[in-house]
Amino acid sequence: MRPLTEDESKVAFEKLANYIGKNLVHLVDRQDEPHCFRLHKGRVYYVSEASMRLGISVARPNLVSLGTCLGKFNKSGKFKLHITSLDYLAPYAKYKVWIKPNGEMPFLYGNHVLKAHLGRITEDTPEHQGVVIYNMSDVPLGFGVTARSTVDTRKLDPTSIIVFHQADVGEYLRDEDTLF
Amino acid sequence: MDVSDILASQASKNKSILVVEKDIPPDVDAGFLTVTDLNVIDKESYDHERETYLQSTARDSVQLLLSSLFSLPTLSSPEGPFAQLPTPTTQLPRAKPLPKPKPLTKWERFARAKGIHSQKRDKKVWDEERQAWVPRWGWKGKNKEEEAQWLHEVPANADADYDPAKDARVARKARAKQNERQHLQNLARGARHQLTATANYVVGTGVGAGMQTERKKEIDRTLATTRVSTASMGKFNRALEGEKKLRGVKRKFDPIERSVETEKSASLALIKKLGNDVRGSSKFKKDGDGDGKVLNVRKAVRFASGGRGAVSLALKTTTATQYGSDGKGKRKMQGKGNGRLRWLPTELYTH
Repeated sequence: MRPLTEDESKVAFEKLANYIGKNLVHLVDRQDEPHCFRLHKGRVYYVSEASMRLGISVARPNLVSLGTCLGKFNKSGKFKLHITSLDYLAPYAKYKVWIKPNGEMPFLYGNHVLKAHLGRITEDTPEHQGVVIYNMSDVPLGFGVTARSTVDTRKLDPTSIIVFHQADVGEYLRDEDTLF
Repeated sequence: MDVSDILASQASKNKSILVVEKDIPPDVDAGFLTVTDLNVIDKESYDHERETYLQSTARDSVQLLLSSLFSLPTLSSPEGPFAQLPTPTTQLPRAKPLPKPKPLTKWERFARAKGIHSQKRDKKVWDEERQAWVPRWGWKGKNKEEEAQWLHEVPANADADYDPAKDARVARKARAKQNERQHLQNLARGARHQLTATANYVVGTGVGAGMQTERKKEIDRTLATTRVSTASMGKFNRALEGEKKLRGVKRKFDPIERSVETEKSASLALIKKLGNDVRGSSKFKKDGDGDGKVLNVRKAVRFASGGRGAVSLALKTTTATQYGSDGKGKRKMQGKGNGRLRWLPTELYTH
């Protein structure tokens, strides 16, 4: 476990900012309890200071996980968000997509969101923007990246992809072995 | 009073101090002021009284050295007598490695291959006319004899302006020049040979490949040096396209146990910087967000729709055409535009 270097923080923050924009400040500067980002075995954890201090005394090979895993760095230095970060992305998401009940299961099995399944979408969503995906009763299901801007989606046919799948809560079951 | 007994006893005492008796006589090298005692250490006394034992052996050795110094021939001087030290007998190891054999010249290699043993030419040659040894070349050299002679033989078919002295001089200069060229070539060949020998030893490849890897390594080394040769020791260099990370630079991490406050302020500063970058970088620029054009489409849409967005504008036109020109009353779902999120009529999306 160690703090992130400046380059690593930059990469991670850029990825998070793609979903929550300026609200990233609220993650760093928490009112309730100070939190920090820690890197352990290539994964970035969002930890409260208290549990981080407890975790210091655990030797690296023995430490499995601490706090909330936000994602991991791949070997080429890119940062990939895990579904576990949804708890922090959902409250601060800038752009949201709601999907209809008939589109929930396909999305939760790891498929992209089709136009036919689109319930509603935040206005002015640009292309290739990170969005959080909710069902119609406002339960966050995952997140993805928009394929088209809101304006462009109107012209598309119902089978075309609107949001590229990035992570969904189905991964808690599907990738149980590798996720944590 | 007879003091002979006292003197004798004193002398014997002194003698016992002055004469050192050992199983193997220690090796005294007065030239280096060194005594080497090869006797076996007496383990018992060494274990029991180490200090006294060491001191006694050291005293004996020093005694030997001093007595050898006093037996040396002396020089008297205003400061007192000086002993003349003999040349050292101990062989010291060489400080520098043995010189490497010089690379062979082209001729030497040829001669060795053919088994030619040429005698080394003397620098001087016997001049029969002058009856003296004269240098082969250089000042008053034998090689200038031809051009310096007072009478020249001229071939029958020579031109009218033929100058035999000048001709001989030009030929001599040409020979010197050729020799110089061959010498340089030999040097270059020798250097190349040595280089490839080491490179081949390391890499174990052909001659050309060894040269190439060596040159490449040299370039990499120079590049690495230049990258850290800025005022900030390379810290604030602008990263070039396709530039590789410097090798052999250790990563440094912040301590884990830093106060979260400082970490937070660093993160916030980074986010702020990131935010500034966001404005400039194309990655974070939204479409139509004033990308160098005169019209900022995004801003224009916001202005034209009264902050309701592009979709509301589109809706307005469709509703106007469908339901008449008033365009009112059919847009309950859209709300009044202070929030961003709005219900859109689903028929727009589902046909």
